[in-house]
Amino acid sequence: MPLLEVQDLKVHFPVRGGIFNRKLRSIKAVDGIRLAIEQGRTYGLVGESGSGKTTTGRAIIGLHPITSGTVLFEGQPIFGDGLRGHAGFRKDIQMIFQDPYSSLNPKKRVLDIVAEPLRNFEKLSAREEKRRVEQLLEQVGLSPETIHKYPHQFSGGQRQRIGIARAIALKPKLIIADEPVSALDVSVQAQVLNFLQEIQERLQLTYLFISHDLGIIRHMCDHIGIMYKGRYVEQGTTADIFENPQHIYTKRLITAIPDMDPSKRERLRQFRLAVKTEYEQAYDRYFDADGLAYPLRPVSATHLAALPEERG
Amino acid sequence: MWKTTARRMTIMVPQIVLLSILVFLLAKAMPGDALTGLLDPSIDPAALDEQRERLGLNNPWYVQYWDWAVKALHGDFGQSFRFKMPVSDLIGQRMTNTVWLSLLTLALTYLIAIPLGIISGRYHDTWADRAITGYTYLGFAAPLFIFALILLWVFGFHLGWFPTEGSVAPGTASGSLAYVMSKIYHILLPALSMALITTVTTVQYLRSEIIDTKQKDFIITARAKGASESRVYNRHILRNSLLPIAAFFGYEITGLIGGTVFIESIFSYPGMGQLFLSSISLRDFSVVTALVLLYGAASILGALLSDTILSFVDPRIRIK
Amino acid sequence: MEQAYANNPAPPAAPVTPPQDAEKSPSGWKILWREIVRDKLALASLIFLGAVILSVYGVSLVLDQEQIVTVDLFALNKPPSAKFWLGTDYGGRDVFGQLIIGTRNSLSIGILVTLLTGLIGILIGLVSGYFGGLIDNVFMRFVDFFMILPTLMVVIAFVTAVPNYGIVSFSLIMTAFLWMGIARLIRSKALQERELEYVQASRTVGSSHLKIMFAQVLPNLSSIIIVTMTLNLAANIGLESGLSFLGFGFPESTPSLGTLVSYATNPQTLEFRWWIWLPASILILILMLCINNVGQALKRATDARQRKG
Repeated sequence: MPLLEVQDLKVHFPVRGGIFNRKLRSIKAVDGIRLAIEQGRTYGLVGESGSGKTTTGRAIIGLHPITSGTVLFEGQPIFGDGLRGHAGFRKDIQMIFQDPYSSLNPKKRVLDIVAEPLRNFEKLSAREEKRRVEQLLEQVGLSPETIHKYPHQFSGGQRQRIGIARAIALKPKLIIADEPVSALDVSVQAQVLNFLQEIQERLQLTYLFISHDLGIIRHMCDHIGIMYKGRYVEQGTTADIFENPQHIYTKRLITAIPDMDPSKRERLRQFRLAVKTEYEQAYDRYFDADGLAYPLRPVSATHLAALPEERG
Repeated sequence: MWKTTARRMTIMVPQIVLLSILVFLLAKAMPGDALTGLLDPSIDPAALDEQRERLGLNNPWYVQYWDWAVKALHGDFGQSFRFKMPVSDLIGQRMTNTVWLSLLTLALTYLIAIPLGIISGRYHDTWADRAITGYTYLGFAAPLFIFALILLWVFGFHLGWFPTEGSVAPGTASGSLAYVMSKIYHILLPALSMALITTVTTVQYLRSEIIDTKQKDFIITARAKGASESRVYNRHILRNSLLPIAAFFGYEITGLIGGTVFIESIFSYPGMGQLFLSSISLRDFSVVTALVLLYGAASILGALLSDTILSFVDPRIRIK
Repeated sequence: MEQAYANNPAPPAAPVTPPQDAEKSPSGWKILWREIVRDKLALASLIFLGAVILSVYGVSLVLDQEQIVTVDLFALNKPPSAKFWLGTDYGGRDVFGQLIIGTRNSLSIGILVTLLTGLIGILIGLVSGYFGGLIDNVFMRFVDFFMILPTLMVVIAFVTAVPNYGIVSFSLIMTAFLWMGIARLIRSKALQERELEYVQASRTVGSSHLKIMFAQVLPNLSSIIIVTMTLNLAANIGLESGLSFLGFGFPESTPSLGTLVSYATNPQTLEFRWWIWLPASILILILMLCINNVGQALKRATDARQRKG
């Protein structure tokens, strides 16, 4: 049984306007997403900005109301507003946010920030609480003496570690990491990513990893879903996606990854050009009249792609 | 554009209805009713009850409200028990005085604000700017009634430059030139004392607007193109800073309404504000309700006017 | 690709301490305080205000209030003398004593109304801005309606309509029509604040809306609240004395600064007996100037571009 299973998830936002502020139409931010994550694995959700990947993550944890579809956690459905649902889910699913600057309350000390989840779920004495926070800070590689400091006294990478300490405080099973390193300097990105993998092993965490950077996704993830305009265009294991991309959109994303090795440069350039030509010629075949992806069809046991009928 | 206005209008209608209900209930809640003033031991209480019944004073409040509102829509606000005349006529007499006072105040407000704001903004951090800023600090802090009282004391009583009460010298024939001059003479000090206080927010706004605009890229571009300093100010900076100020006059109405109550009371100037105060002291409630309603409607319309103009001037504030 | 990450050093095993020179920006309160100390005018204003408050509340404890409001027919309208420092009014009552008690009353009601309007404004603004949507829409239409009321008139009408009129009802009436400004301000700030990720973070760790609003969002609005409340205090003292001046504020038995000024509505008093109304007028003016000076300095402190240092 997968730890998390999302079935046909839809999140639509109403667009209001006119004199009486009526609902005019809706934006289909997430339009029928299906995914499953096994315990201990990392599932990557990729897409350009506005593709609905962040909305998907936020809908799973309950920050956005779900329009339709179900989210199963350990086989149990999490109801529409997950935050008010069973307290167990609340503890078991946590989130790491994109912006290490705005995700920490500037008026709170590190102690208060990291202790916030503990105060909501565990009745600890002040002394115990302080000890737990110090342990957590040590786990994320920060000095326990920093508990009385304010967020602005830390660097971006350190702040993201504080965010991680807060997320792991309740010993969650699933962590949704929403672009956890995109706001950081490249040099710090690798540190934080490696650290995330380290605590994944140590605490047996499962990740839903959201990013627009395929390089990071490849480094981190076992399974990948590629989103475009609220729908999946392709889904499969990391090998499926990178070795055998089926959808033209996936191919374009992959060719856009820069490579460090100069000897491969010319070959890559040729490949990129070929994909670009194919993209331009075959766009209409891969997307429907509204420019949206078709339903997914199986390519192999683990691999699905939104291919047009004649190719299926 | 028309959408903004249409939307504002649809909000306005319930606002006015709500205001009228509030005002009506308020008048009902005030001690005594229209007939208490006539209370006279010689009148038979039974006759009084009968009259109450005849005037509909025993009906449920919403019936009374409906009757009152229908009449009010036709301009009939009932009788003033104090002045023994229709409320609409009474208010009509006083309204001219208040309207002139407000208009002159508004005109003076802009006449003072625009040069001061421009000097202060254009030459900011000079002694002139510091003096003007000092004045705006003082004007911002000073309550209108104290400022007006001190002006009246100094210029009216001590120096004797201005008349100390009324709207016209007694005995001047209406319509003559002397009458008009006397009216202007009487209105000058009240309007000036109000304008000197209300103008400070406009001065402050204009100053900071000019200072902000001065550092914007399009002004630097204009300078770089070689436009002369006066051209930069007249064509670029002032056009951007003055338009919103011109649109503010609708919002000023709300402030003027409160101001005229104090000013008319201090200068014994027979306008609506003074009528309001005396009516409330004399429990002349039909006048009070009509006045509050009128003032409320005026500030609603003023805000609507300003919002509409501003939405033409500045597309950012349009209601989507 | 893999190599790019593998080549990077693993995070150091030893705990990282933040560098000592990490930019240390002081907390909100310190910024406010520093701005006041830097601004000599504001500092002087604050000291003066403190002195006035201390002496007024101190002296009024000693003063015999009964005796001050008792009519003395042998000492009507006396100019200042050794016995009556600021002379007497038309009832032969000591003006200086009335000034002390009036200042105390005006300050007390000003502070009370400021706190009450602040409380209501913060509650409504916070709820409205934090939840947004329908709640916000309903609350803001409500605020819009109150905003268009001719406040002065309606307050006067209420003052006349309320039976058993007294200090409590007076402050409640003032509060009822003065909470909208701060509510609007707090709402617009809360609307900005709720978009920040720390609010979502609090939700994901299981904090209730109530906790997030008051424990997380509110502290971030504290400096703006302090500034607004300070400026409102001046405005409220002005309005109270104005109402008392018109005769719709405090009853005459509890003098306020406005009551003393209102004696000037008698032209005789205005023209010849300056000692009755002028000291109170000047005191109101100075009080409001001082409070505004402090408020403006605080306002500058919340706007980093305008800070003096």
